[in-house]
Amino acid sequence: MNSPTMTAFTIILTVVLYIISRKIWLKTQNALLAPLLLSTTAIIIIFHYSGITYEQYKPGKSIMTLLLGPATVGLALPLYQNRRILLDTFIPILVGIVCGSIATVTTAVLLAKWSGLDSMLVKSIATKSITAPIAIDISRIIGGDPAIAVAFVVFTGTLGSMIGAGFLSLCKITDPVARGIAMGVTAHGQGTATILHEGQTQGAMSGVAMALVAIFTSFVAPFFIPLLLK
Amino acid sequence: MLKFIAQVFLLWVIYSLSIWVVKTSHIPLPGSVLGMIILFVLLSTGVIKEQWLTAATTPLLKHLTFFFIPIAVELMQWGDLFVQNGYLLFLPLVISSLVALFATGGIVQLLTTSSNNDGMN
Repeated sequence: MNSPTMTAFTIILTVVLYIISRKIWLKTQNALLAPLLLSTTAIIIIFHYSGITYEQYKPGKSIMTLLLGPATVGLALPLYQNRRILLDTFIPILVGIVCGSIATVTTAVLLAKWSGLDSMLVKSIATKSITAPIAIDISRIIGGDPAIAVAFVVFTGTLGSMIGAGFLSLCKITDPVARGIAMGVTAHGQGTATILHEGQTQGAMSGVAMALVAIFTSFVAPFFIPLLLK
Repeated sequence: MLKFIAQVFLLWVIYSLSIWVVKTSHIPLPGSVLGMIILFVLLSTGVIKEQWLTAATTPLLKHLTFFFIPIAVELMQWGDLFVQNGYLLFLPLVISSLVALFATGGIVQLLTTSSNNDGMN
């Protein structure tokens, strides 16, 4: 069955589950209960037991993701609002982002490759530290899978939110600017939301880093990833 | 609501234009990223004012997560692959995250403390 009714049902289901999971998350503030994790799991379980296939979900998916492109373009706005911070600490931000992203992508891709993982999975892991909307696009370009890329992004973001601040302290990284950028480079939006609790500087730095990592990786990944996979 | 639609339309125009440029020029760059860069330049040069967009970007960015749910649901098609390879994925993801935190944080701390840069608070 692939009808308008089914499409409407899947859209309503997704919206309702999103609203519920967002409420739960706002109440608990637990990284493991992030809305994306919670609602996606719920939908997959519901589909599994009711026999709804992914094919039947596709028409609704196209409608629901209609605004993702324009929303991603809108990420320029927070970057613009933080332009002062960006200009004031341009060199540290730039060097940190370039070294940090190259280090993390290289480690992830090589470890995944040496584990004997499927090449599609290895390519999808390359975008794990990038904000989801852009990770989706980059993974398409480099031959990964968007859904798997999102899974890696969420896993990394959740992990970063849970252990990031603690690990930075353990490494004696106490400078607020450094902590913010490190979180943005590692754990994108989820990391930014977490480190914002430490202070405005950390949060703004993390947000700026997150946007710049995405831009930097978009330019570099199509050439760099094939090199690592050789 | 009308304001929201008009502003989304403006974002959509920039996005579509970027997609078109990327497609016709065969640059391996996501259209969304090019759109972001274009919008940043337009904001910086004052061609577009911040307040022309906030009615759209505030709710869109607040609920950005929503858009990833339909995309992530596709994972149900990859179920077996994940069950079989899940443990192999764990280590690369965890180690590379620790490397990112340590490398980025360490380098930036070294740079900011040595130049004793202030003025960002």
